[in-house]
Amino acid sequence: MPDDSLEFELEMPAKPKYVGLARLLAGSMARRMSFSEENIDDLKLAISEMCTNAIVHTGNGEEDKAPIIVHYIARDDFLKVWVKDQGPGFNPSRLIEGERKELLTKGFGIPLIKSLVDVFECDSRPENGTLVSITKYRGQGNQES
Amino acid sequence: MGNEMENDQREGDGLDITTEDVDHFSLIVLSGEVDVYSAPKLREAIKDLVDQGRNNIIVDLEKVDFLDSTGLGVLVGGLKRVKQNEGELGIICNQEKILRIFRITGLTKVFPIYASRQDLLAKTKEA
Repeated sequence: MPDDSLEFELEMPAKPKYVGLARLLAGSMARRMSFSEENIDDLKLAISEMCTNAIVHTGNGEEDKAPIIVHYIARDDFLKVWVKDQGPGFNPSRLIEGERKELLTKGFGIPLIKSLVDVFECDSRPENGTLVSITKYRGQGNQES
Repeated sequence: MGNEMENDQREGDGLDITTEDVDHFSLIVLSGEVDVYSAPKLREAIKDLVDQGRNNIIVDLEKVDFLDSTGLGVLVGGLKRVKQNEGELGIICNQEKILRIFRITGLTKVFPIYASRQDLLAKTKEA
């Protein structure tokens, strides 16, 4: 592995007060990797959105819910982060069908994440939780949509 | 003027809120981070003003370091609430990193956005 490689995992309670910690870690890693300030802000926002979604899927802060896993993978020119919850899951195709409707009526989370990162992936199955993964390259900017 | 709110809701939430009256507006000044943990505090601040019949609200984001979709959702909810009472909810912000989020989500077309407090006063006097 290149010298800049780093990989670690944060297991956090599915509670809103811990989202800031996941965001802080992403920002610190991106800064260590010499991402631009704009890209650091994008990453922090994307991780915040992913963790917020995971908390909502896992009971929205209720007690005694399964923790959320945030996994950070830093390589020479990109940072990949996946967030796994153990909520009820859903059919990912609904993400595409409902995206515009969601943007207009429910929230801004998923469309916002997609606009901030280079790669967005979602794997969710009913009763098996949701894994959302994003990758941001150090050298590439994003076009606002 | 300088009517400070009590902020006792959530320990360590990283968001300070003060309110004051400016011209015929109620100004909510935020300082810190608005996310899923702290956004309920902003929601309550807006609700408190509306409950007092103060439906012309400006939220000052100049000292906000971080804003996510939960915060946007609270602002949109506040806008809907004041519109029901024929009021208005505007934003003061001149920070590119925050304005960018409003642009991405299309909310620059929804909220009146002012560059500063002076800009707010100048534009509302023109209107």
